[in-house]
Amino acid sequence: MLDLKSVNYDRVLRRYDIQMESKETPEELAGRMVPKDPLLKKIAEDVVFMRYKNVNDDVTAALKNFSPEDIIEQGLIKGMDVVGELYGRGIYYLPHVMVAADAMDRGVKLCESKMKGARETRGKVVMHVAEGDPHDIGKNIAAVLLKSNGYSVVDMGRDVAVSDVVATVESEKPQLVTGTALMTTTMSAFPKVAERLQEKGINIPFICAGGAVNRAYVESYPMGVYASKAIQGPTLANAAIGGADWRKLRENWDKLTAAKE
Amino acid sequence: MALKRYTRMEYGSPDEMVFGEAKYPVSYGLGQTVGAGMVVPEINFAPRPGAEKNPETLRREYVDYITKDILDRAITLGFPAVQLENEHIFQMVNDPEKFEKPVVAGQKELMQKYHDEYGIALSIRHTIADPRLAEEGLRPGMDKKHSYPEKTIEAFEVAAANGADLLSVETMGGKEVADYAILRQDVRGWLFGIGYLGSLDMEWIWPQIVEIAKKNKIRAGGDTNCAGANTSMFMAGGYLDKDIPRTFSAVTRAIASARTLVAWEAGATGPDKDCGYEGPILKSIAGKPTAQEGKNCQCAHADLMGNLIAQVCDLWSNESVEYHPEFGGSSVQCWLGSIGYEAALMNTAKQLKQDKLLRDMYMATDRYRCPEAFILAYDNAYKIGQAIVENGNDIYLRSKAAGMTAARLIEEENKAGKLKLSKHEQDMLRKIITDLSALPDEESKFVDQCLKAYKDIPMFNPKNYGL
Repeated sequence: MLDLKSVNYDRVLRRYDIQMESKETPEELAGRMVPKDPLLKKIAEDVVFMRYKNVNDDVTAALKNFSPEDIIEQGLIKGMDVVGELYGRGIYYLPHVMVAADAMDRGVKLCESKMKGARETRGKVVMHVAEGDPHDIGKNIAAVLLKSNGYSVVDMGRDVAVSDVVATVESEKPQLVTGTALMTTTMSAFPKVAERLQEKGINIPFICAGGAVNRAYVESYPMGVYASKAIQGPTLANAAIGGADWRKLRENWDKLTAAKE
Repeated sequence: MALKRYTRMEYGSPDEMVFGEAKYPVSYGLGQTVGAGMVVPEINFAPRPGAEKNPETLRREYVDYITKDILDRAITLGFPAVQLENEHIFQMVNDPEKFEKPVVAGQKELMQKYHDEYGIALSIRHTIADPRLAEEGLRPGMDKKHSYPEKTIEAFEVAAANGADLLSVETMGGKEVADYAILRQDVRGWLFGIGYLGSLDMEWIWPQIVEIAKKNKIRAGGDTNCAGANTSMFMAGGYLDKDIPRTFSAVTRAIASARTLVAWEAGATGPDKDCGYEGPILKSIAGKPTAQEGKNCQCAHADLMGNLIAQVCDLWSNESVEYHPEFGGSSVQCWLGSIGYEAALMNTAKQLKQDKLLRDMYMATDRYRCPEAFILAYDNAYKIGQAIVENGNDIYLRSKAAGMTAARLIEEENKAGKLKLSKHEQDMLRKIITDLSALPDEESKFVDQCLKAYKDIPMFNPKNYGL
């Protein structure tokens, strides 16, 4: 093998990731963002620092002073907001988000068991992977992120027929529908879904993403709104819930997704 | 059919490995020989959305447009040998007689015409889609909804009988567990999913593929852990990405190599699949030809080892490109030019007896670009190969040994200061070493442990693996 000692690797590559590594710690950021109340603070920190085993005890303790709804909104979701911020700044990686979401989910389930009626969520999203496509990791990540941002998710799984997507949207009446596909010849199901939904008079944003999917393609059929990463899902959903229809989402896409690229 | 496990290295040292030469070259197709002193470009393609509308639109896209464009450009640029790869789309496996047969036959007919007219060496790899769903069942008789396991085998038969020269597949076994584990950075779960369950799934399907190839007097090539290790690699991404740490991705690649080896143990001859970046490890063990992709597959994806991964290749691929027009012709013509000229550079280096120098230059440019590139540098790939063959008869222990060897190699080089790691990459590396060290030494204990720990993973059904 060649002797590589004389190679000055600064002339070959630059490690921008290490150069740009954040100096801020999760503890510092959480210290500024978590609630002040000690009981809610503890719950939010359980989520931020992924203390899965502590969640049930801390939520149970807080239920003596707070309603289940308040614990979800001001404790668990606040914790998840911190996690989202840490991820956005590149301090946390995706697995941190997934494990924190597991911790939050545990707390939410306990709170829901103490509620009289069903929990009011921010909105409902129907999710699927295109017919003939078994690649579902992106959809699964997006589902976790949407749930941890307060949305209820109807997960239809993978390799889902166009007619099944349309029937589920009709019966579930979600605010959004999503589709993911890895391949060029499976993403062609998306325009068919959009067309069939329009025929039924349904006109909600249809967020589409995946390996071969691109913005120009998604914007070539009605209702289609592109997402390049799973983390953009909650941002687009929040905008839709805030009143933006699919045309507005397309118009404002660059602005909405700028921070989440 | 019994599997022939590898318990010794076919190469005596890493330095014996170089691009364009394998211990066991393979001949097939229309005058094609791979691994016998020449690197052959392998061009891969995807039809445009909508081409799958009906069997005739799909045949026209693949045969009249894509294949003809490729063959014309190969002659135009004077390439002596070209391999085509058709990665089958869902429709071709879902209804092989209608969608697959006319495409396979049509491509071969056209290739024969160019071979007869110009004498160009040509071959085609057909990579059958694996649509099997863990939630429905991976083995025959289990999937009552789609019959995907039966259709997958049928698609191999149809391809083999109608013009395929080389059969491949990207099997998906264990992916449901690996996907769960990757999102939680759980190396034990990933080892169970790919190193163990993935190997079991390959032990089921690959003897069948080899038999089909033998029956039709063609070649069974090899597999790739695209579904697992490439998911890791793409999520780890480049320097702007923060989805998973690249140390995790590197270790999963090493584990995947112990699994992808099963195809060759079942009797496949190589070359393996281009997107299996574990190829250098496999080649070091078995001496069979490997297909690789890197800098000339930017049409499909970016990776951090574009040059390095050419170091010991026998086929040089573009991974895949959607068929569309470019300034320089159609996309398949442009990317054939790109891989074909790179192969010409390698072949000229061989003629000038400078191939090992070029190999080392390829390797040196990316050796420290990321941990995955580092462990795949041919000297390190060889060490991982050694760890696998030392435990060659045990699919669990060899997967574990491959992962641990990769982790230790990264740790040592990071301490030496050349391979830089971010803080999170370092943290993850320590966790991986701790987690792997804590695993039992016996397969049965490991399996019991994992069946308990992962029983609630959605879609995971031990029956899919005969457990």
